[in-house]
Amino acid sequence: MLLSIALLLPWVAGAVLLIANGRNRAVAWLAVSTLVATLVVLAFLAAEVYGNGNVRVVTGHWPEGIGIVLEADPLGVTFALLSVLVVTAAAAYESVGGVRTRTFPGLVVILAAGLNGLFVTADIFSFYVFFELAMTASYALSAYGGKRRQLRAALVFTAVNLLGSFIFVLSVAGAYRVTGTLAMEQIAERMLEVNPNAVLLIATGFFIAFSVKLGLFPFHFWLPTVYAGARPSVAAILSGAVANIGAYGLLRFGAGLFPQQLEQAGLALIILGAVSILYGGVLAVSRGDVAEMLAYSAIGQVGYVLVALGVAGPVGLVAAVLYSVVNSLNKALLFLASGVRGALVAGAFAIGSLSVAGVPPAAGFVGKLELFRTGILADSTALIVLLVAGSALSLVYMFQVYQRCFWRADPAKAKASPLPQRLIAAGLAVLVLAGALWPEPLLALSGQAVESLTSSSPGAS
Amino acid sequence: MVRRSGRGAAPDSVVRVVARMLPAPSVMVAAALIVKGYAEVGDGFAAGVIVALAVSLTYVAVGADGAEAVLPVLRHAPKIAVTGLLLALASGFFPLVYGEEPVSHQPAPGEPLTKFGKLELFTQLLMDIGVFLLVVGVLVMLLHQFGRLRGEEKS
Repeated sequence: MLLSIALLLPWVAGAVLLIANGRNRAVAWLAVSTLVATLVVLAFLAAEVYGNGNVRVVTGHWPEGIGIVLEADPLGVTFALLSVLVVTAAAAYESVGGVRTRTFPGLVVILAAGLNGLFVTADIFSFYVFFELAMTASYALSAYGGKRRQLRAALVFTAVNLLGSFIFVLSVAGAYRVTGTLAMEQIAERMLEVNPNAVLLIATGFFIAFSVKLGLFPFHFWLPTVYAGARPSVAAILSGAVANIGAYGLLRFGAGLFPQQLEQAGLALIILGAVSILYGGVLAVSRGDVAEMLAYSAIGQVGYVLVALGVAGPVGLVAAVLYSVVNSLNKALLFLASGVRGALVAGAFAIGSLSVAGVPPAAGFVGKLELFRTGILADSTALIVLLVAGSALSLVYMFQVYQRCFWRADPAKAKASPLPQRLIAAGLAVLVLAGALWPEPLLALSGQAVESLTSSSPGAS
Repeated sequence: MVRRSGRGAAPDSVVRVVARMLPAPSVMVAAALIVKGYAEVGDGFAAGVIVALAVSLTYVAVGADGAEAVLPVLRHAPKIAVTGLLLALASGFFPLVYGEEPVSHQPAPGEPLTKFGKLELFTQLLMDIGVFLLVVGVLVMLLHQFGRLRGEEKS
């Protein structure tokens, strides 16, 4: 019931809000309150899932494999909660400043519906459907603002990601062709008996599709234009919520459906991740513009997730989940903070910067700590050196921009933004701080999420 | 020849007449496709595309303003689309009210059906009508946008 409501609520509200005039303040706040209500439903759902195990719904009384299976497990609800939280923060931020287009509130709510759906489905085709729902909404959102920059960003974003979606749906078709089913559980079982070359091809297709979403190194080319061109709230949504699709997909499909292929490709993933970290870090240092620096930093940050995934094993996967969660909060915080000026903002930005670099009073520290544990467990000096180098680079580029933005007296930018906008950024910063000061829930959550992931995959030891 | 029918020039009178005549029968074909049901080819999506194709010819023949003057209902395309979406969602999620799984339909597979001529009455029909409205609404919205682009170019 809760699961269905978590889908139904934003879907219906989003559809209705689409025809309302979003420039009206009441409509914008209605969208925000819908998102908050969705968040509450998801919180109850998460409590249920963490307390009593997975919540499962098979549509229409059909036997499993015919009816669509929706299953909320710890990994899914964690990502759903996180993404809807980021979307809510960004929507509230934009509502305070005044929404500029009719469709923004409706699109944001529809995006939340799509994200919820794809995080709780256990069927690869309905995953694709929800994925497209979320992506279509984000294509329209990326043009938000309507200036030349935003339209260019939207065009690049749409073109590249449509290609990614196409590769994804090809892989779905491939998986259906070789296994004759679309339910994730059955696919994971039947993949064991399929010709390994075919499986590898399908797994690679999924990997490429999700890497495009995430902006990993060889597929990153679209990302700087888009993140730098979009408005801060949209950039926060894209990097804090939509990019979660990529991280979640890599975890769910990689560790859940193709554990053997993940193991085989371990070294390749680590190398790609390492290149991502260094490339993103070095280019971020060379950028002066905040949004552009953050975009390159995003490329570097997802590299860590890939490295953790490449090391795999329970420790690596926990690190991957934890780091994706922390990274998504960081990015939301930094993009929102980069758009405002005034008291509180510099502090919030500094906390976000510390978190990206992985320095103690911020949640990024916990993520980096897990990554170091992974490196030590993998017994690899190179990996640890890489992590240190990456962190040092991020410390440099974050504080370079911090200095330029917040320490220089600049009368043109002195006008403070509305207090609620600054409070939203500060609230996210407090959340990032809380994640480090009391990391146990975050760790337990990631642990349980990974357990749910590996226990369902048959190839796991 | 192609160039002549470009800017400003009105399309051929045959096109205009056909465009005028086509929407009504297309709705009948669409209704037939929906009634045909599930054992045979045809559903709300295909029906919606057929109506939208007929409407698109009207847009080509008389332009966005003309089409919307002839068929004023086209101006409500966004509302039609959202109504369709809500109807489809309602048919999917309504079973929750009496404690069933989403997308359960009445009567369930294998149970006796009420028939009205060839029309089989079951809740799935609502879903199809919803999808039909959604497809028509969205495609007409797109046509409206494209038609307006052409209008702006002219002025």
